[in-house]
Amino acid sequence: MRRALLALLLLIAIPARAQDLVSGISQDIIQITSSYTGTNIVVFGAIENAASSQSRDIVVVVRGPDEPMTVRRRDRIAGVWVNSDAARFEGLPAYYYLASTEPITRIASREALARYGIGLQALKPSAIGSHHDPEPFRQAAIRYHKRVGLYAESPGSIDFLSETLFRTRVPVPAGVTRGQYNVEVYLFRDGEVVSAQSTPLFVDATGLERRLYNLAHNAPLSYGILCVLMAMLLGWISSVLFRRQE
Amino acid sequence: MEIYLPVAEMSVNWLVIIALGTGVGFLSGMFGVGGGFLMTPLLVFAGIPSTVAAATTLSHVTASSMSGALAQWRKRAIDFAMAGVMLLGGMAGTLFGVWLFALMRRQGQMDLIVGLTYVIMLGSIGIIMLRESLAALKAYHGGAAPSRRLVNRGWIQSLPFKMRFRQSRLYISVLPPIGIGFCVGALSAIMGIGGGFIIVPAMIYLLRMPTKVVMGTSLVQIIAVTALTTVLQATSNFAVDIVLAGLLVSGGVVGAQLGVRAGAKLRGEQLRLLLALLVLAVGAGLAWQLVARPADLYSLAEGLP
Repeated sequence: MRRALLALLLLIAIPARAQDLVSGISQDIIQITSSYTGTNIVVFGAIENAASSQSRDIVVVVRGPDEPMTVRRRDRIAGVWVNSDAARFEGLPAYYYLASTEPITRIASREALARYGIGLQALKPSAIGSHHDPEPFRQAAIRYHKRVGLYAESPGSIDFLSETLFRTRVPVPAGVTRGQYNVEVYLFRDGEVVSAQSTPLFVDATGLERRLYNLAHNAPLSYGILCVLMAMLLGWISSVLFRRQE
Repeated sequence: MEIYLPVAEMSVNWLVIIALGTGVGFLSGMFGVGGGFLMTPLLVFAGIPSTVAAATTLSHVTASSMSGALAQWRKRAIDFAMAGVMLLGGMAGTLFGVWLFALMRRQGQMDLIVGLTYVIMLGSIGIIMLRESLAALKAYHGGAAPSRRLVNRGWIQSLPFKMRFRQSRLYISVLPPIGIGFCVGALSAIMGIGGGFIIVPAMIYLLRMPTKVVMGTSLVQIIAVTALTTVLQATSNFAVDIVLAGLLVSGGVVGAQLGVRAGAKLRGEQLRLLLALLVLAVGAGLAWQLVARPADLYSLAEGLP
């Protein structure tokens, strides 16, 4: 574990290089502790060999691990709202954040964005559903994640510190899933990607949070019994304490 | 004031959760019910995922009931024979409920079934209790002693397998208590409740147990059923959050003790009138949710059913 950490630190220290683009992130492990309420990471980089006349269209995408999900639509039956059609999706990320120098549809055509898989509308999960058209269900999934702050597109949120140096702040809310995330930085020129870089970002729990999470998933029987014993013990303690007061 | 919940994977304000636990615990102690039927909707309202809310509320109910049951036990107000017989049905009911829970989840109709069950249960029980307690209060103020009608005992008296319950001063068949236990066990698994709001009226109006032993006996039954359901929910759904449970329980046990004291100052009819009004209010709120147009017609659940 320590070794892996060290290796990762080295990776940060020497930002990965591409032809025209270097980039890095402020931290490559987000540790969830008991006081975790969400955090920010800073993605920064520089465009190399850039003539000032050339466009500087940057897109930063942070994508979380894929998570299977089911979307259901309610219809009114006899005055009551009932779940009717459903669609199951695989390949939608649990978290998706996009920062760009300007709205992405102005940076590249929809076809190009779809080809590169950039933007919320380019998220194309595989769908199995009871309804012939999964598109409204996919839109609903995106809407839901936007509402809870797990999906966002934030055009104009990349700051240029100089002609070539840029940075952006990526919010990581409290509701994020554990796992491996990817930070992708794209440099566009004339609507096409000319350079791209990908850096992994890990989100994991530490200390007591990690132990409890592992216990709940690896030894659920002991965990369940522990919960019951804790509840009974607290009930008994309070009963004893309050009797003393009488 | 924020604390991270490891299983729910979100952070909450722990003061709000403790206050919630204390408030619901107070009502638990006062009425001798677990409070799950209030706690689960309140947690969902506070943003906790509904599966975690339902499963974790059970721990709160266990603790509140434990605390209340010990207080009743000191007053010798528990019929352990009755609790044991009910529990036979309760265990079978819990297993059936967990199976039904999984089935409904696959069908995607869990919210609807749970909502409808809540509305029907709370509505009918609330109305029965309201009528009864108002009649009792009227009789009290009119100077007449509240009469115990025995009309419902007819068919129960004719059932076989009779057993003597000394504490309750009853000689009745074991079948109705087992049946009640079964229903409550099933509802506990499906709705994340202890089932006190069903057991208490059933004991009073169906079995005709003396009100004095009803509180303690129902609490013992609730402890056993919620403990079993918590373990089943933890192993099958990974939905019990121990940090959330600890916070709820810490508030809940204190509230329950205060509630028992407040309840001792009120007369039985008044208590039942208040409980009836509370039950009806929650039922009406849930009914509104079923018929009101949802803000988004689409809903999302993590995982594949």
